[in-house]
Amino acid sequence: MSEIIPPFHWHLFLTEPWSAWYLDTTLRVIAMAFCVSASCGLVGVYLILRRLALVGDAISHSVLPGIVLAALVAHTLTGPAIIIGAIVAGFVTTVLIESIDHHSRVKTDAAIGIVFSALFALGVVMVTMFAGDLHIDADCVLFGNLAEVATQPGMPPALIQAGSVLLATILLIGFFFKDLLVSAFDPTLARSLGIRARWIHYGLMAWLSVTVVSAFEAVGSIIVVAMLIIPGATALLLTDRLWKALVLTVIHAAASTVIGYHVGLWLDSNLPAAMVVAGLGLFVIAWLFSPSQGLLPRAIGRQRLRDRLEREKVEARETTEKAESR
Amino acid sequence: MAGLLLLGMLMAFPTLAQAARIGEVSEGNVLDRAIRFFSFRDPTVRIAVAGCVLLGLCCGLLGTFIVVRQFALVGDMLAHAVLPGIALGYLWTLSKQPLHLFLGAVGAGIIGAIVVSLIRQTTRLKRDTALGIVLGGFYGFGILLITLIQKLPGDKSGLKSFLFGSAAALSETDLGLIAVVSLVSLLILGLLFPQFRIASFDPTFATSVGIPSQAMHYLLMLLLAWAVVSALQAVGVVLVSALLVIPAATAYLLTDRLHRMAGLSMLFGMIAGAAGAFLSALQTGLPTGPFVVLSASALFVGAFLFAPNHGVVPRWSRQRHQSRKIRRENTLKAIFHLLENEGSDVAEGKVSHQALVDQRRRSPLLVDGEIAALVRHGLAESPDEQGRVTLTEAGRARAMEIVRNHRLWELFLTNAANIAPDHVHDDAEKIEHILGEDIVRELERSLDQPTEDPHGRVIPLAMEESGGSGI
Amino acid sequence: MSETSQPSPALEVHDLTVAYHKKPVLWGVDFEIPAGKLVGIIGPNGAGKSTLIKAAMGLLPLSSGWVEAFGRPLKEVRDRVGYVPQREEIDWDFPVNVMDVVLMGRYGKLGWLKRPGKADREIARACLEKVRMLPFADRQIANLSGGQQQRVFLARALAQESDLYFMDEPFAGVDAATEDAIIALLRELCSQGKTLFVVHHDLASVPDYFDWLVLLNLRLVASGPTSEVFTPEMLAKTYGGQLTVMTEVAEVLRRNEALAREESH
Repeated sequence: MSEIIPPFHWHLFLTEPWSAWYLDTTLRVIAMAFCVSASCGLVGVYLILRRLALVGDAISHSVLPGIVLAALVAHTLTGPAIIIGAIVAGFVTTVLIESIDHHSRVKTDAAIGIVFSALFALGVVMVTMFAGDLHIDADCVLFGNLAEVATQPGMPPALIQAGSVLLATILLIGFFFKDLLVSAFDPTLARSLGIRARWIHYGLMAWLSVTVVSAFEAVGSIIVVAMLIIPGATALLLTDRLWKALVLTVIHAAASTVIGYHVGLWLDSNLPAAMVVAGLGLFVIAWLFSPSQGLLPRAIGRQRLRDRLEREKVEARETTEKAESR
Repeated sequence: MAGLLLLGMLMAFPTLAQAARIGEVSEGNVLDRAIRFFSFRDPTVRIAVAGCVLLGLCCGLLGTFIVVRQFALVGDMLAHAVLPGIALGYLWTLSKQPLHLFLGAVGAGIIGAIVVSLIRQTTRLKRDTALGIVLGGFYGFGILLITLIQKLPGDKSGLKSFLFGSAAALSETDLGLIAVVSLVSLLILGLLFPQFRIASFDPTFATSVGIPSQAMHYLLMLLLAWAVVSALQAVGVVLVSALLVIPAATAYLLTDRLHRMAGLSMLFGMIAGAAGAFLSALQTGLPTGPFVVLSASALFVGAFLFAPNHGVVPRWSRQRHQSRKIRRENTLKAIFHLLENEGSDVAEGKVSHQALVDQRRRSPLLVDGEIAALVRHGLAESPDEQGRVTLTEAGRARAMEIVRNHRLWELFLTNAANIAPDHVHDDAEKIEHILGEDIVRELERSLDQPTEDPHGRVIPLAMEESGGSGI
Repeated sequence: MSETSQPSPALEVHDLTVAYHKKPVLWGVDFEIPAGKLVGIIGPNGAGKSTLIKAAMGLLPLSSGWVEAFGRPLKEVRDRVGYVPQREEIDWDFPVNVMDVVLMGRYGKLGWLKRPGKADREIARACLEKVRMLPFADRQIANLSGGQQQRVFLARALAQESDLYFMDEPFAGVDAATEDAIIALLRELCSQGKTLFVVHHDLASVPDYFDWLVLLNLRLVASGPTSEVFTPEMLAKTYGGQLTVMTEVAEVLRRNEALAREESH
C-alpha cells in the first residue's frame, strides 16, 4: 500500500500550495472547482426536493450529443453555441422522458435509463466519428480538464463562464425563491395561486443543462452527478429550512473543494475525483453526527430512553417489593 | 499540475485512440469488413460477438426483474459503484487477475446496494437521491484509486477499458466469466421463477407466504452486480445500465406476461449485442458499447411506435378508425332523424342530399364523402339519380341502435342520476357510440324496458327484438 | 335563483363533467352555492369529492361545463380562492418550518419576484395565533402531530385571506379537541361572509357542522340546505343506487378519451 499512498508532508501539501509561488495556481483551480461545485449543488437541492435526482444524472450524460452537434456547427468548444446545444439536448431529454412516460406503460425510471444511455451512446459515436473535426476527446467527457485553468495565461474563459453561471444561479434562486419553493412543496397550491408549475419545471431543466455543461468541461460527465447530489443531500441532513440548506450546500461545495484539492495534491490523483471523495466524506460525517437526524445522536437518544425505561422498571419493582414486604 | 493533467490524459485517451477494436482486425472497405465479420475467421470477432450476445441474454433476463420492480436505475448505480472494487481488486494482486477484479467489483456493488438501503432507512432522503449519492460518490472514489494505480508499474491496460468498454479487448477468461454468469442467472431465475415473480409483484405478500423476499432482493442484486461487472469490459461503465433497461423495456411494451417478457428481453438483448458488435466492426476505431446501446434503442423505438397493443402508431390508427366510425354513425343517425321527423318508414324512406347537408351542417362535398363511406361499408344503398339515399338493413340496424343508445343514456342520466333533461344531450352524443351490448342490457334492466326518452321521443327497439323488419 | 334579484353566488358549477382524469369521473354536476355558507361535500369513497374540488379550482381539464366564483370565471378571481390540501399529498420531510408554510399563503398576493415582507409576516403570525400554533412557528412540519399539521395548513389558508375556500378532508387524522377547534374557526370564517367547501366523510357530525350540503356520487345527488337535503332517502341514494352502469360507462369513456388525447398530442 505504501507504494500508492505517498508519504504525507504537512509543508508540501498544506502550506506550499498557498505560498506566493503557487498561490495563483491554487486560487485558480480552487475558484474554478468551487464555482462548478456550488452551482451544481444549488441546482441539485431543487432536484432532490422534486425527486428528480436521477434526471440530473440523465441530463449530465445526454447533453453530450448536443455539445458535439453545436461544436460541429460552430467550430468552437466554448461560448454560447455550446450552451445552446446543451439546453436543446437537455430539453430533448426532458421531452423524450416525459413522452415515453406518457405514451407507454414504461415507468419514469426506465424512461430515464433509456433516454440518457441512448443519447450518450449517440454522443460517443459522434465524438469517435468526427474526432478529426472536433477538439473534443473522451478524456474531456469523462474527466474534464479542471487543471487547464491553471496553465492558461490571464483570466481563463472557462473560469469566467463558471463564475457567471454560479452568479446567475444565485440570482435566479433569489428571484424565483418563492415560486421554486411552492411548486416543489405543494404543486396544487402553486397552480391554484397561478404559478406556472410547468414553466418552473422546464426552466429548472434548462438551467440544469446550463450548469451541467459548464461543469462538464471542468470535471467530466459522471463526476457532475456527484456534484449535483452530494452537497444538497448533506445539507438536507443538517437543516430543516430551505434557505439554510442552500447556504450549507455552498459551504459543503467550498469545503469539499479545498479538502479535495489538498488530498488530490497529496495523492497526486485526479482532482475532481478527490473533491468528490472529500464531499462523500463530509456526507458520511453529516449522516453519522447530524444533531437532528444523525445515526449516532439518535442511537444515543434511543439508548438513553432504554436506560430510563429500565431504571423506571427497576424502581417500580423495588417499590412493589417494598410494599409487599411491608 | 502538468503531471496531473498528463495522468488524466493517459487514463482516458487510450480508450478511444489506441485500444484494440473489433474493426482493427482487418482493413478495407465496409463490404469487405462485413464479409470478414460474418466469416468469423478472426478469434477476436468470435469472442467479441459471443461475449456481446451472451451479455445481451443475461442482462436481458436480469433487466426484466428490475424494470418491472421500477428499479431501472439500480443497474446504473451498480455500474458506477463497482469501480472502486475493480481498483481494489487490482491492488490485491497488483495484476489484472480476472477473479480478483471480479470479486472486488461484486463486493463493491453489494456494498453500494446496502448503502442505498441504509440511506433510505435511516435518513429522510428519498431513493433517487440515495442512488445518486452512491453512484457519484463511489465512482469518484474509484477514479481516485485508478489514478493512483496508474503510477504503479505493471500491466494495467485493462483497467482503462472499463470506462468505455471494448468488446475486442475481451479475453477468453472474460468470455468464460460472462458465460458462467449467464448460466448461473438462467439457472437461478429459471428455477426460482415463480418465487421471483411473487417477490417482484408483491414483496409483502411474498414474505407472508414464506418467501424470503429480502434475501431474494439481495440475491438479485448479487446477480446484477455480477452481470454488470462482466459487461463493463465490453460496453463500459456508463452504458451498462442500458443493456439492462432497454431490452427489458422493449419487451415490456410487447407482452403482458412476465415469462414472455423475460424471453423477449433476452432475445432483444442478444440481437442488440450481435448488431452492436457488427456495426462497430465496420470501421476502424469504433467503440462497441455505444453501438450495442444504439441497436437496443432502435429496437425500443420500433416497439414504442409499433407494438400491437401499446404502440403509438396502432393506437393512433385505432383512434382514426374510431373517429371515422363515429362520423359514419353520426351520418346514419342524421338520416334516421330525417326519416323519423318526416314520419316515413326507415326501411323505405329516402333522404335527399340537400336535407342531409342541412341536417349535418356540413359542406355538400363532405356529405358526399360521408355517404360514400356509408355505401362502402354496406350501410346505405348507392344514391339514386336524384342523389337520394336509402339505408341498407345493416345501416338501419346500426342507426336504430345508436339512437336507442342515445335515448337510453339520456333517460338513465335524468332518471337515475338526477341530471336535468337539458344537460344530458352532450353526454349522450359521446356515449351512444361506445356503449357495448352488456351495458345496454344493464341500462334496459335498470330502466325497466323503457319506451320513451326524457324529451318524449320514442326509443326505437333493437332490430332483433322487432323481428328484423325495422320499426 | 334569478340573476337580477340576488347577488351572484359564491360558487356556480354548471354541467361539469370530468372524464379525462383518472378515477373517479364526474357526470353533469350542476349546482350553486350562496355566499357565506359552510358547505359539506358528502359521498362514499371514490365518489369524486376530491375530483370535484380540483375541477372547481380549475386544476383538472374539464370534458364539459364551467365553473364561476362570484359571477366571474375562476381564473380571474384566483386571489379570492383558498385551498387546504389532503394530508397524503404533502411531503412532510420537506425542509420548511411552520412559518414558511403559512407564508406560502401570502404568495398569491405578492407580485412577481417580490418576497414576503413585514406585513405578510404579521398576518402569518396572526393566523398562527388564531389556530394556536404560534409557539410552534419554528418547528419543521414533520415534527408536529397530525392535528397540529392540519392546523398549520388551516393557518396557511387563513393567510390567503380568500372569500372562498376549498378544504380536502381537514378533519382526517385529527384528534377530537382539534376537530372542535377547527370547526369553531370555520364557523367564525363563515360568519364573516366567507364560503367554505369542505370534503367530509363522517356522517354523524354532518348535521352539526354544515349548513349546506352537496351530496355526491359520481353525479350530483342533491345540493341544498342541510335541513332539506340530509334525509334518509337522499343518503340512501348517495350511498347506494345504480352506480355499476355509471362506473362501467365511465371506464369505456375514459379508454376512448385516452385515445382521443393521444391524437391531439
